[in-house]
Amino acid sequence: MFDLAIIGGGPAGQAAAEIACAAGLGVVMLDEQPRMGGQILRQPPATLGVRDWLPGATYDDLKAQLHRSEALDGLDWRGGVSVLGLFRDADGFQLLATGRDGRLTIAARRVLVAAGCYDMPTAFPGWTLPGVMSAGGVQAFLKSQQIVPGKRFVLAGTHPLQLLVADQLRKAGADVAGVHFAQGLGAMVGQLLRDPLLPLGNLRPFRDAAAAFVNLRRAGVAVRFGQRLVRAIGSERLEAAEFADGTRIACDVLATCYGFLPQADLPRQAGCAMQRCERTGGLAAVIDRWQRSSVQGLSAAGETTGVAGAEVALREGRLAAIGILLADGLLSESEAERRAAPIRRELAKLQRFADLLARIADPRTAIAGLADDATILCRCEDVTRGALIRAIRATAGPEDASALKLVSRAGMGVCQGRSCEHAVRALLAEQGAAPGGGFTARFPARPVAIADLID
Amino acid sequence: MTAVDVLIVGGGLTGCATAWHLAERGASVMLVEAGELNGGASGQNAGSLHFQIERRFLENGPALAEQASRVLALNRLAIQDWRALDQQFGPAMEIVMHGGLMVAESDAEVALLERKAAREAEFGVPTQLLDGAGVAAIAPYLSPGIRAATWLADEGHANPRTITRLLAARAIESGAEVRSHTQLSDIGRSAIGFQVTLASGEGREQVRADRVLLATGAATMRTGVLFNLHLPVFPAGLTMTATERTAPMIGHLVQHVGRRLSMKQAESGNILIGGGWASRLQRGDIGFDLSRPATIDPEALRANLKAAADTVPGVAALNIIRSWTGIVALTADQLPLVGAVSRLPGLYVAAGGSGFTLGPTFARLLAAEMAGERGGDGELALFSPDRFDHLNGFMG
Amino acid sequence: MSHRVATHHPEPILIRVDGAEVTALPGEMLASALLAADQPVFRADLEGQARGMFCNMGTCGECFVTVEAPGRPARRLRACLVPVELGMVVRRG
Repeated sequence: MFDLAIIGGGPAGQAAAEIACAAGLGVVMLDEQPRMGGQILRQPPATLGVRDWLPGATYDDLKAQLHRSEALDGLDWRGGVSVLGLFRDADGFQLLATGRDGRLTIAARRVLVAAGCYDMPTAFPGWTLPGVMSAGGVQAFLKSQQIVPGKRFVLAGTHPLQLLVADQLRKAGADVAGVHFAQGLGAMVGQLLRDPLLPLGNLRPFRDAAAAFVNLRRAGVAVRFGQRLVRAIGSERLEAAEFADGTRIACDVLATCYGFLPQADLPRQAGCAMQRCERTGGLAAVIDRWQRSSVQGLSAAGETTGVAGAEVALREGRLAAIGILLADGLLSESEAERRAAPIRRELAKLQRFADLLARIADPRTAIAGLADDATILCRCEDVTRGALIRAIRATAGPEDASALKLVSRAGMGVCQGRSCEHAVRALLAEQGAAPGGGFTARFPARPVAIADLID
Repeated sequence: MTAVDVLIVGGGLTGCATAWHLAERGASVMLVEAGELNGGASGQNAGSLHFQIERRFLENGPALAEQASRVLALNRLAIQDWRALDQQFGPAMEIVMHGGLMVAESDAEVALLERKAAREAEFGVPTQLLDGAGVAAIAPYLSPGIRAATWLADEGHANPRTITRLLAARAIESGAEVRSHTQLSDIGRSAIGFQVTLASGEGREQVRADRVLLATGAATMRTGVLFNLHLPVFPAGLTMTATERTAPMIGHLVQHVGRRLSMKQAESGNILIGGGWASRLQRGDIGFDLSRPATIDPEALRANLKAAADTVPGVAALNIIRSWTGIVALTADQLPLVGAVSRLPGLYVAAGGSGFTLGPTFARLLAAEMAGERGGDGELALFSPDRFDHLNGFMG
Repeated sequence: MSHRVATHHPEPILIRVDGAEVTALPGEMLASALLAADQPVFRADLEGQARGMFCNMGTCGECFVTVEAPGRPARRLRACLVPVELGMVVRRG
């Protein structure tokens, strides 16, 4: 039995592991990826040689923590493992997981879910064509798989991450046709200048985006504002991206970047209280000042509690671990508060910038009206927006997301609703219904073969 | 104050089907549902249309099995009712009646099948006993360890996710009023029938109804309290699991006489696995809290999936993508509780006893009875709520 | 056309995809090997339309393929999370 099971090998999980292991706790860390790092530091396979992996001051601290975490004494790392569900027992939790070697059951007194986030899938005509990918997915091909996943790239959306991805593509020798923000530049800069708490010195994430912007312009890559993506064109594969003003740009990869949704499957399945993310409609675990969820023994840290970036995630991981040491009686109340105080101060500052970024990157205006009736909203089951509207408006039709799912099959495919739930709830709200709490989160949190569960 | 001929409480399959039948007869009908239509077991079950004697009736010894075989008379009617629904609604209900097999592997199981088949013959349910070769010829997807099966050509499955709402829509088109997110909050007697207080987001409303039907499934005991009645209906959480879609593999409803197992392949291609394995209901302050989701028991799930893979080896390599719980209504003697409550003239109940398979039949027979039509064959007599009247002798 | 950018890598290995030989690098994910081999289509949807990669991190379900690694039973797995192995046999759906 472990003292602590950490689900997620990214910055939040690593930060928690450092503190927990240093205090002598027996810690196991699980992730679907084969190596530690999460998505932001998604490492290449050990077999590949990589020149200058993730250059830039932004990543230095995170990389240092990653290297320390990989060498942590007392940390049992399980990569390539999918956690299917958490089950309470008298001593804590049983984690049921699956990996390359079949079923895995792990007992732990406490669980920390630091499962990160994923690109918010945004539906528009043609988005299911091969070649349309999330910007995060494109970035992962580059930084982790050392592959430029196409020939000519168009980036579009509302989130400044696309500037970094474009610049990374450019540095890798890719043909980047342009980066397109649906928001006007004036609107974005206006948000920036309007914030009275703007100390220019602490603007690392904005500096990175600005530096990427400058690099792109210098290299002749267009960065356009007020350019709303409206359609992906192609017959069997992506051939071009089309914008609201009629511009068409030939490309074989369209990387879309509209924001992120928390990975919330496990806290929801465990019955944790959740709250809705205002701008994306994702669901995030509700936590207290020690990162404890509403379920006894279960903590959450990082993007799972609300998308706010790696620096916030890391510090939430530290708070979660300190909270666990406090709960275990390994720290006194005053000692815990003393250790937490500087972290909380940093968090308060970082959270303000995260909020500013969220306001600048607000996707709602860009997304409204993007999908037409023929657009598929549920990719797995091919359920279009039109079919969902017909189901909602039918006599004796469904009034909440779970009921709509049942009748339309949206959310009943292999992705288990991760790609369409937010869109289904938004559609219900648009049609005048109260979307309710979303789809019921169910075991297993990831698809798993029957044979792997019965041996 | 609104006055209706019939107030139906509960928007599941039986409630909506009864509303439809009554509305078609010209009765004024109001149906109220506390949550979403089809939100309970009607929408959560695996869609089995099973007309053979169920395994659960064989589990508890011969006396109970004797009683349970009385359900067979209803099963014969249900076959016809499902065929009628198929004709009236077409492909929307995804009614598939291509046959069902209850399989056996051991000597004891084969013997049990033989006794079961004999009882089914007595009641005119035409099951056929097949040997290993006969089973393999019909269902090559079954494990070679299957030595015998009872085959019933009319068994199959339908789509529980869509049927209830289709019936509700027809009821509305025929003049019924259907209100979701509306609860019963108080009952009084009036000169004829009942005076009911309804509570919804829009406030409270009084309705007078000559007759009331309680079709509230697992919540029936709680609904009974409003009428000052003990209705011995108990909730049980049953686990079901769906695989990803796959190419056609299982063409029939498959059940096992010696193990808890039920399998079918839906029209969408997903294979649905169940058979009576228990989920854990949440505990409330008093009794079980049905408002919070039941939890899956990993050991029960494992055993269920093992039974499935042992019986249909081809499913072992498939991924499961969701497991969920349907909370069914179990009556004190496992038999349906359907009919008039003589102690309270005008009150009717329909709960328990394979509510999906038998729902359309309950609805048709109850609608006729509630509309005052004589001439039924007393098919429901065996399931009368009055058999539990002794529980209410001291309720005033 | 996708291309690899690693500075050095071990000897490539061969896997089979829908009966055809595909070159892959030990350690890379199956999805990467397929893209590098100019095979961006992973499945056909219910309408028969071609689908490719989308999230590349195991959440979207677009890259499920049938994978048989040597000595192991066939499984439906997400190609973005399956490191390639010599002799792997892959069938797309």
